[in-house]
Amino acid sequence: MTVKSSVLLGSAALGLLIALIGFSALLFAEPYHQRIVFIFMVNLIIVLGLQVFMGNCDITHFGHIGFMGIAAYAVAVLATPIAIKKTALATAPFGLSGIELPLFFAVPGAIAITLIVAFFVGLVMVRQTGVPATIATLAFLVVVHVVLLNWVDLTRGPRAFYGIPIKASLSTATAIAVVGVLIARMFRDSRWGVQLRASSEDAAAAAAVGVRMQRLRFAAWMLSALFLSVAGVLFALFVGTISPKSFYFELTFLTLAMLIIGGMHSVTGAVVGAIVVALGLEVTRFVENGPDIAGFELPQMFGLTGFYLGAVIVFGMAFRSEGIVGPQEIEEWWGSRQQGKQSDAGSSEAPNP
Amino acid sequence: MRIAEPSNGESLGPRSGGKKLIVSRVCKSFSGLEVLRDVSLRCDEGEIVGLIGPNGAGKSTLINAITALMPVNSGEVVINGLRVSNTTPQFGAMSGLGRTFQNIRLFKRLTVRQNVEVAHTSALRDKPGEAAAIDLDDLLAQFDLSAFADWRAGSLPYGSQRRLEIVRALALAPDFLLLDEPAAGMNAGETSALIDAVRQSSKAFGCGVLVIDHDLRFIMTLCNRIYVLDAGQIIASGTPEEVRNDPQVIEVYIGHPKNQPTQDH
Repeated sequence: MTVKSSVLLGSAALGLLIALIGFSALLFAEPYHQRIVFIFMVNLIIVLGLQVFMGNCDITHFGHIGFMGIAAYAVAVLATPIAIKKTALATAPFGLSGIELPLFFAVPGAIAITLIVAFFVGLVMVRQTGVPATIATLAFLVVVHVVLLNWVDLTRGPRAFYGIPIKASLSTATAIAVVGVLIARMFRDSRWGVQLRASSEDAAAAAAVGVRMQRLRFAAWMLSALFLSVAGVLFALFVGTISPKSFYFELTFLTLAMLIIGGMHSVTGAVVGAIVVALGLEVTRFVENGPDIAGFELPQMFGLTGFYLGAVIVFGMAFRSEGIVGPQEIEEWWGSRQQGKQSDAGSSEAPNP
Repeated sequence: MRIAEPSNGESLGPRSGGKKLIVSRVCKSFSGLEVLRDVSLRCDEGEIVGLIGPNGAGKSTLINAITALMPVNSGEVVINGLRVSNTTPQFGAMSGLGRTFQNIRLFKRLTVRQNVEVAHTSALRDKPGEAAAIDLDDLLAQFDLSAFADWRAGSLPYGSQRRLEIVRALALAPDFLLLDEPAAGMNAGETSALIDAVRQSSKAFGCGVLVIDHDLRFIMTLCNRIYVLDAGQIIASGTPEEVRNDPQVIEVYIGHPKNQPTQDH
């Protein structure tokens, strides 16, 4: 498969931006801020994975964090040292308390387990369209959460799963995010990605030109799950301690907000949305604690971050329903401005229907 | 729909001669209301066949039945020996059908070129040999769309949108092209340009064309042979001359002033 030069150009521009964020944090930031940037990279990978499915299929996806949770717990169970499991996970089924895989096997293993689940869920999912499909993804998230919460022998239930080897670094996360941008762009602009986007706009017209929508949707679903499983593994191997509530509504809505604010129909939108929402979130978090600004003491405002997310979505939808970026990719901005001028002239030719 | 390939077209014996689109005794009803009754027609390789009839005669239902967008109650549609009726639209496209829609259905967010590529991708998968021979740039140029190649399809002028739908269908390397009211909303100049372009591409691709319209003059100019559909039945067929002089046709159709059916909308 050949990659179009426009795709490489656009991916390079976004990749450079992400690399700049990652490496300036590595070089100049304190550990606390590096941690924030790492979480940003994980969130970015989640948003990219979400874009692969939502942006190309036009189906709102509430279940993506479920895949992340499965991958995080899978890598935790496979890679946590036996010494810790003896006390923390003594009653694990399938003899898992006596198993400790090196990351070289645990990471692919966790990703494979997630993809197997995604495969079977996907077989059912791609048959649905519109609201039923969205509800099904939401149900999937709840099912994963309930299993993580109640399969106490395997996951320690609501108590934290601790002792996961801390092996992920900010540079790894940055590199994966950059590669993720390229993969998401290549999929979106591949022949199959274009067919998928066509079918999400008009299923009947796409069928008439031979598009097999369900297969393409399935491909997008699996690729999306791959992104999410990588995000889950990275997250678990960075924080070292996870619990089911790490993978539930809060993260679901945060990442959905990032994608929708940026513009779900483009990878550029996913990246811009992740950056803008993350920046805003840090600012509100700062203000929330009632800091002194130039000798002026602000009151503490708990819940401001949640309010911020809600407000940003409401205003974003009200004034820019296609997101900040809209449906176009970064390298198309210049071209579309040209076209905008032309199409103003062109529209006057159109007769009244 | 299933994920698996639609592969339920049955072979109807060895092919005899060129490519054929045969509609035989198709009946279709919607909750008891009979919309198509025993409709039979055929279109051969390279032929331009017209189907006219007043509004509500069942023209669009017929084209939807032929392209397997909706199932038929009885009868069948056979293309090059493969039964297409009651399969899937994808199977219809694979068997050699390309179509346009009465209400333009482009992929508006995609560019003009991408709209054509969507169809071409299917063709490359289903019939790589024929598809590889199609030059998309030439095709766009033939329909005066080269200048718009990088435009969003939704921002095109109306006449260009209609032409783009035809180009998209042609990118499937179809054996038969089904045009559903292709000249609707076009002015006289655009219509005659369209007629030339359809004739040319029929020759270039060697494909048969089935044109559906209620504009009698347009159909008479474009087609070699014409079927007249009224209230779900074929009431006449033949060359433009024969159809024009058919008393039944004159009664239901041409009897109106100005050679046009009355339009109530």
